[in-house]
Amino acid sequence: MKALWSWLLELCDLPTMPTVEEGVRALTGGGLEIEGLTDLGGGFSGVVVAQVVAKRPHPDSTKLTLVDVITAKDGPATQVVCGAPNVPEPGRKVLWARPGATLPGGITLATKPVKGIDSPGMLCAEDELGLGDDHAGIVVLDADDPTALGAPAQRALGVDDWLLDVNVPANRGDCLGHEGLARELAALLGGRLVQHDVSADLVELASELRAADLVELAIDDAAACPRYVGRIVDGVTVGPSPRRFAQRLRAVGVRPISNLVDVTNYVLFELGQPLHAFDWHRLAAPPRIGVRRATAGERLTTLDGNDRALEPGDLVITDGSGPIALAGVMGGQATEVTAATSRILLESASFEARSIRRTARRLGLLSEASQRFERGVDPALADRAAARAAVLLARLGGGKIAVGLADHDRRPPARPPVPLRLARAQMLTGTALTTASCEDALARLGCTATADGDGRWLVSPPSARADLLREVDLIEDVLRVVGYGEVPATLPPLTAAPRPLTSTIADRARRALAAAGLTEAITFGFQAPARLEALGLPVDDRRAQPIAVRNPMSIDQAIMRTSLVPNLLAAIARNLSFGLPDVALFEVGSVFLRADGQPATGEPTALADEPTHAAIVLHGSRPRRFGAAEPWDAFDAKGFALALARALGAGDVAVAAAAAVPYLHPGVGAAITVGGVVVGHLGEVHPDVRARFGIDGPVYLAELDLGRFAEPGPVQMRPVPRFPASSRDVSLLLPEAVPAAEVEAVIAGAAEALLERVALAEEYRDAEKLGPDKKSQLWSITYRAPDRTLTDAEIERAHEGIVARLTAHLPAARR
Amino acid sequence: MDTTPTDALISQLDRLAGEFAAAIAPLDDEQAMRATQAQFLGKKGQVSAVMKELGKLPLADRPRVGEAANRVKDAIAAAVDARLAALADARRAADLARKVDLTLPARPVATGHLHLLTQVRFELVDIFAELGFAVAEGPQIETDWHTFEALAIPKDHPARDMQDTFYVADEIVLRTHTSPVQIRTMQAHPPPIRIVAPGVVYRRDDDATHSPMFSQIEGLVVDRGIRFSDLKGVLTHFANRFFGGSGGLDVRFRPSYFPFVEPGVEVDFTCAFCRGKGCRLCKGTGWIEIGGAGMVDPDVFAAVGIDSEVYTGFAFGMGIERMAMLRHNVSDIKLYYEGDLRFLRQF
Ligand SMILES: [Zn+2]
Repeated sequence: MKALWSWLLELCDLPTMPTVEEGVRALTGGGLEIEGLTDLGGGFSGVVVAQVVAKRPHPDSTKLTLVDVITAKDGPATQVVCGAPNVPEPGRKVLWARPGATLPGGITLATKPVKGIDSPGMLCAEDELGLGDDHAGIVVLDADDPTALGAPAQRALGVDDWLLDVNVPANRGDCLGHEGLARELAALLGGRLVQHDVSADLVELASELRAADLVELAIDDAAACPRYVGRIVDGVTVGPSPRRFAQRLRAVGVRPISNLVDVTNYVLFELGQPLHAFDWHRLAAPPRIGVRRATAGERLTTLDGNDRALEPGDLVITDGSGPIALAGVMGGQATEVTAATSRILLESASFEARSIRRTARRLGLLSEASQRFERGVDPALADRAAARAAVLLARLGGGKIAVGLADHDRRPPARPPVPLRLARAQMLTGTALTTASCEDALARLGCTATADGDGRWLVSPPSARADLLREVDLIEDVLRVVGYGEVPATLPPLTAAPRPLTSTIADRARRALAAAGLTEAITFGFQAPARLEALGLPVDDRRAQPIAVRNPMSIDQAIMRTSLVPNLLAAIARNLSFGLPDVALFEVGSVFLRADGQPATGEPTALADEPTHAAIVLHGSRPRRFGAAEPWDAFDAKGFALALARALGAGDVAVAAAAAVPYLHPGVGAAITVGGVVVGHLGEVHPDVRARFGIDGPVYLAELDLGRFAEPGPVQMRPVPRFPASSRDVSLLLPEAVPAAEVEAVIAGAAEALLERVALAEEYRDAEKLGPDKKSQLWSITYRAPDRTLTDAEIERAHEGIVARLTAHLPAARR
Repeated sequence: MDTTPTDALISQLDRLAGEFAAAIAPLDDEQAMRATQAQFLGKKGQVSAVMKELGKLPLADRPRVGEAANRVKDAIAAAVDARLAALADARRAADLARKVDLTLPARPVATGHLHLLTQVRFELVDIFAELGFAVAEGPQIETDWHTFEALAIPKDHPARDMQDTFYVADEIVLRTHTSPVQIRTMQAHPPPIRIVAPGVVYRRDDDATHSPMFSQIEGLVVDRGIRFSDLKGVLTHFANRFFGGSGGLDVRFRPSYFPFVEPGVEVDFTCAFCRGKGCRLCKGTGWIEIGGAGMVDPDVFAAVGIDSEVYTGFAFGMGIERMAMLRHNVSDIKLYYEGDLRFLRQF
């Protein structure tokens, strides 16, 4: 909401005149943030009001005029050369930029010859002052302009003023007019609101006509339209608005059109009540004004010339012949005010916020009126605003006001007073509020407070304050007036030990992976569909059935991620494009899968499963001192995965061959299991997949579903060995196809009590010596007993037992 | 003067000491020296051979020869020790003569990096844990009811404009704030409640200071007798712990409107960088806007079945990116989410 400082001051009576800075501070402190403060007349200086006392043509030019001006009654005249075609007759006032004056664009005036005659400065047009775009001629003040000679031009132009850009909270529709802001300012600065009393004007300007004879109201839907006031102003003449009246509208962002239209906008900005002026003669005769829902198939051509199809939810104004306006949104073209208008039906009404909001949004017509109706307009404003506007119309348009008004008044009954308890206010705020401070604040806010026993009141807020419905609303407002600076800082007593409400696994995973030397990335929860498709998942994979965002900002954010992998691959590509060849990243975060039983496509009807995953990607080389690169390989991914699983307290972690994962290399992929259950995968990213992300060179990957890990209990100590261990080696000749895990499994299967540890010590291949598709592995097996030093005989017995088992269960030969 | 056989034997023994010294002089390892020592002193060694002559000597002379033999043995042992010591000295000297250019690159120890937002989140949670707050979480894809309705923001409420929402279905949204965690927590746990809920949220907003995904931390305290002033105290503690250094930062409340709190406030902290004097960061105001807060609205309590006459509470919400930006001088919110190692590795 744009507000003028002068307009606000006009509407309140304050004990001392505040500076604009004080006003801004008070409003901001009260919750009406001033987002901008503009000095309207700040663009120029040294321009003064001067009176033309004589004029004559320039001897050497037909276009130039020599003008004598004075800046004090009976003062000396100065001759100024003027090129404008509209130099007025003597007696009228103009704006003279004297030598030394500065104008927008950094121009400083001096005395300069114009076609041979010195001109001390110049007479100014609007655009030269940075106001409006009128360059048709110099500014000529209205004949009755009261501004004193020699006064700054700003005063005459109505720009010795400040424009406040007020951020009005969503619940304070009452502040979308100067009156509402003035009520706040008065409350905060300890003054009172001033309302224009137009009763005398109504009498003075009354015509012979009676409103009741000229308009009939037939409104059935009291919920959609609780209040409708119609007034008739007759005999008006369309013309431009007075300069300062128009200037106010221009300052708050409304283009002045004509006196009749400008008045409705002026009152809207003054009181917050949207108004509409119909040309009475263009309405059905006699007009029978109704408010109803549109019926399917109805159309209306609105003021902007668009022929609009109406929908049954839209509220329309009718005149007995059909829709003439979209209620609260925009008037109809057929009944709008024109240059020929002489009699006006002025509409001042309140409409249901929800309908206005829906219609305005559907049609993209967010007008000053609709924005106010959406937030709710006080129904009590309607007749005040109608009277004020009628008076202004009659004054500015030279007309008369029909006696009386057409009033549809189906306002809900006045709200019952709201109880307020001092003790509750003190407790809730923790602030030293007193009976006196509460009563003072309520009075300033315009509330009527009746004592209701000790420390209790029954409070009736002003009708404009539709947001003051409950005790807590009153407490807030009392505190607002007292000042939030009065609230002390206290700490709540600790009444219960905090209970852990959430898993710590994700954060433990982050710490473990960072400790292992990886860098954490956080990527968007949504992603481009193409990134998911690049993984090549089969359609029946849950991850290939993402949940789509209905209204994404771009295709890159169109679906919720079902895997952390695509965004991390994209991050590798991005780092490569920055010239960083070595990338080791991890992410721990939610992925979004359709819940069980949900359809595979379309909008879900239930919330998603949001398991937390961890993913690691490696590309390029390990950190090294210098010299030859040491490329990452799949065993790095395995190492990180195992380190993570162990850090999460998983005991029985293994890596096992698994069914092919579509986005992993068919020969370089495996499953990660905990207690035999698959918790993730690792391996090399399929070359086709990484190519789709523009990555040249292998990427190694590990991903784990952290939801598969349980919150571990405290680690229990195992006895530290007290007796020595002994190792024995066995060298095996094995077919290529036997995985190392199988050898380990056979050894473990021996259930040898003395067995402590199995480690692969060496592996080599030599087609000539060993034969093709063969490998030689040297396994080192460690034996230990907890209660004694083992004898050679015991060790040999255990070892030979294991070797025998290996050769019996595997196609293995001892070498 | 004639030498007696005894004297001859003694001088023979003494000579052996000299011979031994000569024998080990070229040796440079202990094992070879010990072998030579054994060769001189063993049963078949030179010393034993000389001592075999002892029986031929008069009884009275034998102690003298015995002394001489011991002298030789000691001399041989001493020669070995001396030689070993000399060798050790030489090795040590050689070792000390080594020079390594330690300005060459280090062998890298892999140092990982937690994301700045993770680090800041950990710190926030720790600070609130000091005041007894536990961490709570909720889903990112959330019902309209938890996100809006239960927070007193019905369908046509103008406040829905303030946070343009991503929809997944009519009644399912990407949460626009962490406040639905308040609702879920109050539904699941009777008061007293004291939680913080950090998490990712989504809004249709994308410019230099807005990202369509960002993270917030929400706080909620519900108990008997919770006051607006307690909110100020908790946030003052937080301000001083997170930004404060030497403390002394104030919290300023400005009235504001959020449908789910009443009174509702915008929270400002004294600018920690100029200590309130005014600087570029605070745009000369001396204050930094940090988030929204207020007392839990009775309508919210009603939605979750808590009696607002018995219990009161406060809630607050702050943007984690903004706090990290302020404290770490991060220039662009986009940097957080691009996986750019040049950014991530700085923290
Ligand atoms: Zn500052």
